Amino acid sequence: MNKFMEFLENMLLPIADKLNNNRYLTALRDGFMVALPLIIFGSIFVVIANFPFLDKLLGEDAYTAYQNALGPASAATLSIMGLFVIIGIGYKLTQSYGGEAIYGGVVAVAAFLILNPQELDGVTGVIPTAILGAQGMFLGIFTAFIAAELYRYFVNKNWTIKMPPGVPEAVSRSFSALIPITLTLSVFLVIRILFSFTTFDTVQNFIYTIIQEPLTALGSSLPATILAVLLCQIFWFFGLHGQIIINSVFDPIWYTLNDENLKAFQAGTELPNVITKQFIDTFLVGMGGTGMTLAVILLIFLIGKSRQVKELGKLGGPAGIFNVNEPIIFGLPIIMNPLAIFPWLLAPVVVTAVTYFAMATGIVPKPAGIIVPWTTPIGISGFLATGNSWRGAVLQIVNLLIVMAIWWPFLKIMDKNYYENEKAKK
Amino acid sequence: MKRILLACSSGMSTSLLVSKMKEVAEVRGIEAEIWAVAQDKAPTEMEHADVLLIGPQMRFMKKKFTAVAEKVGIPIEVIDPVAYGRIDGEAVLNKALQLMDK
Repeated sequence: MNKFMEFLENMLLPIADKLNNNRYLTALRDGFMVALPLIIFGSIFVVIANFPFLDKLLGEDAYTAYQNALGPASAATLSIMGLFVIIGIGYKLTQSYGGEAIYGGVVAVAAFLILNPQELDGVTGVIPTAILGAQGMFLGIFTAFIAAELYRYFVNKNWTIKMPPGVPEAVSRSFSALIPITLTLSVFLVIRILFSFTTFDTVQNFIYTIIQEPLTALGSSLPATILAVLLCQIFWFFGLHGQIIINSVFDPIWYTLNDENLKAFQAGTELPNVITKQFIDTFLVGMGGTGMTLAVILLIFLIGKSRQVKELGKLGGPAGIFNVNEPIIFGLPIIMNPLAIFPWLLAPVVVTAVTYFAMATGIVPKPAGIIVPWTTPIGISGFLATGNSWRGAVLQIVNLLIVMAIWWPFLKIMDKNYYENEKAKK
Repeated sequence: MKRILLACSSGMSTSLLVSKMKEVAEVRGIEAEIWAVAQDKAPTEMEHADVLLIGPQMRFMKKKFTAVAEKVGIPIEVIDPVAYGRIDGEAVLNKALQLMDK
């Protein structure tokens, strides 16, 4: 068993290393991190704007006025999150090469805007905000990568405008970003013009049809989600941070699906997706952390006899409420523990399936596209994520009971072993 | 003054450890500045630190951080998983002090 575990760890560690040290995935992840505070700010105001019973309390007119007053908060942040992700990626990627990061950020945004339609329903001089949200997410990510790379390439070429002697150095330096940016953006302009001759009309349309739509369709399926969840659990079983490895691949898809739901939620139409960023963060991670270990903590308080396990419950309990569970993962331990692997892998799969069917059948509302910080405690997070629905909170409690039932026999054996060891030592 | 930096994915779980380490340092009268950051902040924060300890779940980042640590000239180590699980401030503080002495 130990040999086999060692073998697996030796296999996983390089994968984790590769994925994590990949320059583009790192820039992508950190780019999303840049956007996150703005996304959460916008989410808070979507929640406040949609408090339950307010429409009945205020009356229809006052409620509409209330919603309209709060609308700009999310419209300027959450709804156009792609914009901030693009700046973030352009910035972080340029920074990783040691270049002037802010230029990488702005050149990425400009390149993206060049590729996009600059008219809406015949009105010119506008940028449709839809492209800055979910619709443009994938194009935005690719554009940011390519723009930052081109910018760096042209900077390294060191083509500068030669100034006559006597011109202060600061003046010639002020041109240092000019040539790389001019060349980079010219490339994108050419791409735009070329695409206007194709049947796709815009690059946006091309990427959306060829890449984004198929990928998000795949990513929103139950099997793909279970696979992502399982991979995460397996990485964690070896004590490797699963999300930081898996999410950098899945986040673009999950955030895109999330944003589609937000648009529908705000328009009052039916929500298209069950699998979203919040499906994962609220109904899987949001129950005590990865592997829903709040259930383990509760079980410890219910059936724990050994001192070791009881101590761990006290130690990990308070952090577990806020979904920080390293004490449990490393302390129980869950990592490399043959007794833990079965519930550790099974419980998230069952919960994923139960949550999926509860939402697909309409028993529980689908996630409304609101981004709830992952440290939000169980119950509150389920309520908020489903657009202020108590059924979201109840589903979390049901899931918690399921996880407790799956863990019960295994924790009992672990606890018994510890207890007998402790007795033998006395 | 000992400056001890801890890093994990978002600086959450290491901050649990930080508070325990501070308690131990205070009891033992060690003057120490101990703080936790998210992994993406670690390279810049290292400039203000004498040692970097990373959470065991982030051990695949050691290689990346070692390159920076060598430039700044500080030791770097992955925190022992058992000590991490127990939030054993004493053991981790000892380890940090030992690394700085080298």
